[in-house]
Amino acid sequence: MRKCKSEYLIDGYLLNRLDEEIKKKFEEHYFSCSYCFEKMAERDELISVIKNKGDMIFQDEYVVEVAKGATWFEKIASLLTPKQWALIPVSVALFLIVIFVFISYFRPAPPQFFINEDRVRGESITLISPVIDIKNVPPKFEWQKLDENVEYKIYIYNNGDQLWSTTTKENFIVLPEEIKKLMTLGDKYSWEVKAFSPEGTLISVSGKVHFKISRTE
Amino acid sequence: MKKEEINLEELYTKYRPVISFRVKKSLGVSNPDWEDIVNEIITNVIEKIKKGQFRGESSIGTFIYTITSRRIIDYIRRKSKILKYAPEPASYPEPSKHIENKERAELVARAIRKLKPKYREVLYFYYYKGLSREEVAQKLSITPHRVSERVNYSQKLLKELIKK
Repeated sequence: MRKCKSEYLIDGYLLNRLDEEIKKKFEEHYFSCSYCFEKMAERDELISVIKNKGDMIFQDEYVVEVAKGATWFEKIASLLTPKQWALIPVSVALFLIVIFVFISYFRPAPPQFFINEDRVRGESITLISPVIDIKNVPPKFEWQKLDENVEYKIYIYNNGDQLWSTTTKENFIVLPEEIKKLMTLGDKYSWEVKAFSPEGTLISVSGKVHFKISRTE
Repeated sequence: MKKEEINLEELYTKYRPVISFRVKKSLGVSNPDWEDIVNEIITNVIEKIKKGQFRGESSIGTFIYTITSRRIIDYIRRKSKILKYAPEPASYPEPSKHIENKERAELVARAIRKLKPKYREVLYFYYYKGLSREEVAQKLSITPHRVSERVNYSQKLLKELIKK
């Protein structure tokens, strides 16, 4: 029996998926086409058995389909209800707000260093000389220069007590004679420098350097 | 088929199954009237041919189709009027035919279970779940053309299995 090009309509006809017009044409067709009628009768029997006994026949397929289930997206989506999904971004936003507030209030202060009551941020002044134990009373105290319009204040301490201080716009001072006389062998001394802007704002502080004098000049 | 060449016995043998199929599809297999309707149609066809009402302008298949369709429409219209006033009693197929159908159905079911999974799953999604060809293709990650191939081939395999 020769094949028929209308064979492709069989499933559509048996499953009621054809348009009314095409359906009528096909019905008329299989009255004249033995091939299509035979194929259709076979297919009809198969469909009938599947529809009536499918539960029993396809037990394995049903299990596999349930196991495979939905796509990964559908699986994840089905974990929560739509309402619960909608709450998630709200919860995340609230959480972030709480964290932000917490961090703002309890954030540790930026690193600071202070000398006595002074608190200064920014680069420190590097002391150049004297920075180690010396044999003579130092004639000059020198430090790193910052900007041009800076006023420096130097402090010299004897065993923690302030011995002398002065201000200058230079990055060094020459020790006055009367102060030299106050400095004795074997004592511990320290000094530091503070820098001030033209407006008088403290802008930088050096560390405190200690030194000892071996003998007077 | 020309009107002079019509062998009524052959016509009966050839067209009774076709008419039966059409009638059962329209009325439902469980409708007990289908066989009477089929007999009426065949009788009507043979009478018309004997009276010379088939002139050969169309094919004999079209001629029979027209008579069949008209009779079905007639029946449905009459039935609709009756049903308006009285409920249709439940109908059951003849016992012998029921058993024969049941045995045949069991045979086909067993044959389907023997098919390889790739053919069974196509039948499962296409016929049992009622998905379209494209939907089945997507489910199984194959082309729609391959779906049709497997459906057709599974039919061929079932035929062989049933014969055995």
